[in-house]
Amino acid sequence: MLVPAVLALSISLPPQSASQPSRSAGTADHSVAFDELAQTAKRAREEIHDDDAIEAYRQALLLKPEWDEGLWYLGTLQYKKENYFEACTILRRFLAQDPGSGSGWAMLGLSEFESHDYLRAQDHLQRGMTLGLADNQKLIARVRYVIAILLTRSEQFDESMDVLFTLMTNGADTSSLVEPFGLAALRLPFLPSEIPPGRREMIRMAGTATIALEGRRNEDAEKLFSELEAKYPDQPGVHFLIGAYFLSAHPDEGIKELKQEIEISPAHVPARIRLAEEYIKQQNLDQGISLAQETLKLAPEAPLAHMVLGEGLIAKGDSAGGIRELETARDSLPDQTEILWDLFRAYSAAGRKEDASRAKDEIERLGKQEDSAH
Amino acid sequence: MLLPYVKHSEHPSARLLCSDCFGRGWALRAKAHVVAGYKNSSNTHFIDAQCYIAVMYRVFSLLALVSMASPAFPAPPQKSFDEVVKQATSARNEDRANEAIGLYREAVKMRPSWDEGWLWLGTVLYDQDRFPEAQDSFAHFVAIKPQPGPAWAMKGLCEFEMHDYPQARTDLQTWGRGDIRGGGDLTEVAAFHWAMLLTRQGEFVRALYMLADRARHDGESPPLIEAMGLASLRMPNLPEDYPAEFRERVWLAGKSAFYASMHDYARSEEYSQRLLSKYGQQPEVHYLEGTHRLFELKPADAAQEFRKELQISPQHSPAMLELARIDIDTGDQAEALSLARHATEIDPANPDAHHILGRALLAAGQTKEGSQELEAAERLAPNNAAIHFHLATAYKELGRKQDADREMSTYVSLKEKSQDLDSGERRDAKPSLEAPE
Repeated sequence: MLVPAVLALSISLPPQSASQPSRSAGTADHSVAFDELAQTAKRAREEIHDDDAIEAYRQALLLKPEWDEGLWYLGTLQYKKENYFEACTILRRFLAQDPGSGSGWAMLGLSEFESHDYLRAQDHLQRGMTLGLADNQKLIARVRYVIAILLTRSEQFDESMDVLFTLMTNGADTSSLVEPFGLAALRLPFLPSEIPPGRREMIRMAGTATIALEGRRNEDAEKLFSELEAKYPDQPGVHFLIGAYFLSAHPDEGIKELKQEIEISPAHVPARIRLAEEYIKQQNLDQGISLAQETLKLAPEAPLAHMVLGEGLIAKGDSAGGIRELETARDSLPDQTEILWDLFRAYSAAGRKEDASRAKDEIERLGKQEDSAH
Repeated sequence: MLLPYVKHSEHPSARLLCSDCFGRGWALRAKAHVVAGYKNSSNTHFIDAQCYIAVMYRVFSLLALVSMASPAFPAPPQKSFDEVVKQATSARNEDRANEAIGLYREAVKMRPSWDEGWLWLGTVLYDQDRFPEAQDSFAHFVAIKPQPGPAWAMKGLCEFEMHDYPQARTDLQTWGRGDIRGGGDLTEVAAFHWAMLLTRQGEFVRALYMLADRARHDGESPPLIEAMGLASLRMPNLPEDYPAEFRERVWLAGKSAFYASMHDYARSEEYSQRLLSKYGQQPEVHYLEGTHRLFELKPADAAQEFRKELQISPQHSPAMLELARIDIDTGDQAEALSLARHATEIDPANPDAHHILGRALLAAGQTKEGSQELEAAERLAPNNAAIHFHLATAYKELGRKQDADREMSTYVSLKEKSQDLDSGERRDAKPSLEAPE
């Protein structure tokens, strides 16, 4: 596990704005007592006498409840001692003093993760990443990893794959990513620790294949996909994973796989969307439109189904209907450039110059935004 | 928005899952609802904090000089309560949370009876996820203003986060009894937490009733699916404390229950089949299947599932009772009686068991014994309308007209009350929070 290494690193890091205890508050006696406790705590921490350090920090914080350095070290020591609930309480107090501390949010998120408070953990880890974790590469990797597995757990599989791919390209040990990749690829919303005993092999096979694919080792991936399919032909998610891959390399195979997935999992919305998209790409417009419409009955708000339906309608000559669908998709996913490009082309073809120009401006704005993010 | 991965627009229900609702953000909205109805402090004589400090600095400098000449110089003037309140209000309105907390603390120290101050202090602390401190503030507020209202919900939510579940449930119940429940966000979050506590207490049907209401109101979200899964599998746990190896079945059961509650039986069935194929030999799975078949008005299929559950879990009294209920309707009185009797032996404090046994006895012509069982059920669940109805029937058959009339009148009154709570018009004003017992 990455935890101990991360801990060692993060605990040794003082908070970004950690201040030395101020002498301005309290009486002189108070101040002396506080200084003594702060020194004792520091010494105990440095000598790795964690229990003594925790006690001294606690005492010091009774005298000066808003001492940010004390809150930080007490919080991280509680994390180290696996007292996650206490760590959360203390780190929240620390963050009330220093809400701009990315490391603070990250440590809080990790503590919440260990407390199984997954929603807050995901939010706070992402906030930590947004605010920045300086150059603490181990902490960054740990935070990304936890974000990725939490995204999968909350059924945000594609977003999870993006984060896992980032981890992979940043040199993370791929053996630790096999199960997270497998879970996201098979669209199973579990943490690696929650994988049911009988399913681990299938998930690991899917993960290994996905890693091979991400590493552009297509032959290895195809071999693994064949094995996966042969061994688990009836498991939900398997044919979708293989079909989605085959769509680009062998479209007819891809269609076959996606159809099989829909037979096994009739409500598999992404499989339906990909299949409808492929039909439209192959100019099989009626089938594509019909499938997209069926999908929208299952998931009326699925923006990508609206996008595919819009593309199909426009290809069939129903410009107004198609634009309506694309606009619905855009309203749900305003940052999706593919939809904006579709709209730009549709507006232009329909002579709606102003709308086309607005779509183009938005595409450019998003492009710049992405560039600056990189 | 700090959550680039949460796309609210994809699901209106994302409000239930995202940080905006469960973490910090929703409380920002909630606090407006919580404090609504209380008079806000006026900003008319707002004093800018920096200006105030500069003025006070000059005053103190001058006074310091004077003090040298006058040994009997009095203590520096304290800020007045009104000044502190104004500063606290400004700090809060300008999202200077820490400053607001300090100022509200100062104000309530000066005037501990200032209820609004405790409420705002609690709300700002809650907004920072500082639950123990927020709970303390709400406790002060409800000590001053004990009538049921939104502060009880906020206090209960803090206690939930502090893992003080019995107190959380008590406070949420107090909140639920009140006429003023606060805004929609607070109601959503508080009702969701209450339902989770009901599951933890083993009151699965009531929890599911509330969660199904949330499902129809808010749509799908992972926390709702998880909560529905736990209640459906009759696991007395919270989402954060059940064993990891149960995750898949909780998720599948939750999905199935969610779609069933949305009357999308095809999708519900898809997840049910996955659950059955992987966990068909585990307890509770066939019972859940049976309840879904009942929703679909397929009692024969349901009976089959309840029988399968009883093969796996021979002491499963809810399965016995559901099967007995079906038996009463299909005329298999002997099995109904046997199952209901067995259920009362296993679970003598369960009003449902006495109710079904009473009905089975009535159906078998044993009216006097039936009425006694129904009376036992009534004692255990006095607000269950159906028990009063069957008791009225029993008394009528026994010629006890006065008793029968009384029970029928209680039945009508309880029924009206529950219909009233179920009406859409009323729900907008005061959403249904309690499931029928």
